[in-house]
Amino acid sequence: MTQAVLDPGARSLPRLRVSRWRDTRATGVVLVLALLALWEASARFGFVQSTNWPPFSTVMTTLVAGLGDGELLPLVLSTLWRMARGYAIGCALGVTLGFAIALYRPMRRLLLPTIELLRPIPIPAIIPPLIFLLGLGDALRLFAIAFACFFPVVLNTIAGVQSVEPVYHQVAKTFGVPRVTALRRVVFPASLPFVLAGLRTSLGIAFVVTVIAEMIVGNEGLGNYLVTMQFAMKTSEMYAGIILLTAIAYLLNRAFVAWEARAIRWARLVEAMRGEPR
Amino acid sequence: MSVVTNFPSKKTGGANGAPVAGSRLVVEQVGKNFLGPDGGAVSAIGSVSLDVAPGEFLAIVGPSGCGKSTLLQVIAGLMMPSSGKVRLGDQDVTGEPAHMVYLFQQYSKSLLPWMTVANNVMFAFSHRLKLSGAAAQARCRDYLAMVGLADFGNHYPWQLSGGMQQRVAIARALAAEPRVLLMDEPFSSVDALTRMDLHALILDLWSQKRFTAVLVTHDVDEAIFLADRVAVLTHRPATISEVIETKLPRPRHSIETRESPAFLALRHRLLKYLLARNDGGAHG
Repeated sequence: MTQAVLDPGARSLPRLRVSRWRDTRATGVVLVLALLALWEASARFGFVQSTNWPPFSTVMTTLVAGLGDGELLPLVLSTLWRMARGYAIGCALGVTLGFAIALYRPMRRLLLPTIELLRPIPIPAIIPPLIFLLGLGDALRLFAIAFACFFPVVLNTIAGVQSVEPVYHQVAKTFGVPRVTALRRVVFPASLPFVLAGLRTSLGIAFVVTVIAEMIVGNEGLGNYLVTMQFAMKTSEMYAGIILLTAIAYLLNRAFVAWEARAIRWARLVEAMRGEPR
Repeated sequence: MSVVTNFPSKKTGGANGAPVAGSRLVVEQVGKNFLGPDGGAVSAIGSVSLDVAPGEFLAIVGPSGCGKSTLLQVIAGLMMPSSGKVRLGDQDVTGEPAHMVYLFQQYSKSLLPWMTVANNVMFAFSHRLKLSGAAAQARCRDYLAMVGLADFGNHYPWQLSGGMQQRVAIARALAAEPRVLLMDEPFSSVDALTRMDLHALILDLWSQKRFTAVLVTHDVDEAIFLADRVAVLTHRPATISEVIETKLPRPRHSIETRESPAFLALRHRLLKYLLARNDGGAHG
């Protein structure tokens, strides 16, 4: 492939076109369309005998109608707002404590064992006891989201600070740059690629936990909508909700990746220049 | 160039008001041990004494792995010696390096990749001098112009060639207006022609600014071409076996100086010396 690109001779051109087709996303899109068509056909022509298996087109009609008549939008906003608050709390704590732990040994000794102990707890498992402690309101849901987001961020931040190129520290030292300034202008930007990777991981986790929390607790948001529609046997609405959640998660991730790539463009280019694998 | 000419002269005194005439760099019986793999101490530097006059250009040559860089880091205050001490003027160098700047070998790692070239240069002095934005920019432009990169302030380091990156590193080091510039094989990772270019540049800047220069290198030609004196280090534990005055006339010329009989005689003498020591080291 590389050879063909570097040497676009007449003979290699047809080959190039074939492999380009196989390598593009188009093949993946075709599979997605085929699966959706199978869904549609299985419901329409009775491959699947169930009243709970609406055709894809019906689900999409329901989704568009739900968005159009203003039923779904408040649910989306409610879910996103809840997620944003929990995510912000978890990430802020993660970044702050991550830097504190990485930079001050006493903090490391104090906090790391607790973090290691709490990290493996499956998030849904903490919700039942938290109901006793925090009640059935937003406090519980925000706590669960923040709790889940905290760990990837704190661990990535610690790893990021530890990965800072030793020469960077020496550069700050030789110019006599004060420690606080060196933290702000050297250590923080140098560890940013790791920190952002943690924030990206937590973004996905935040969305999952938000929906789970809404399904278990309270009567707000898209998670609750899914469960409600399932109880009411409104399967078309239920699937519409799932598709909407999927679309939101996909867009959030894409937006974050695009922003991240711009924020730490230097890191990718430096690695490319040094010929190190990413 | 008005900002640049404020470089502390012998009359006006340094940034602290300390007279530059007093900033003789003295290395007194410095030794450095590291913890070996078996837990015992491994001696990297035996006992090194040096006396560098203000404004002098001293080169330290030695076989690779002899502890040259370690010695330079101790002088820079980036590392504490196990014994002996380093003095600059009447002050002991203990940790925080005052008026000394270390020029790193790996330019690609010593420039901060998230900052533009201009911000890299301003990083050297903005915390120390409370300059207005415009004054800082002007000072930065002056130093970039000195290394021939006046138009590259808005570039990022990784957009430049290796030679240009090392020029930025030199501009940044000098923008801090050090009394002593410590250079750790700064020309070893560029191609031969770029290296000769950088040699001419550093000599030009040194004659303008009159800082004390200490260069560590394994390149005998480079040491002779640049320095007033060349100190030869032995194998580990490093000690100084010989100090040779080059006595080559200045200004030096990239081609003529390197072809002069005096240069070749010095080269012969130093190489013979180092190669003999290398053999001894290899067998002993």
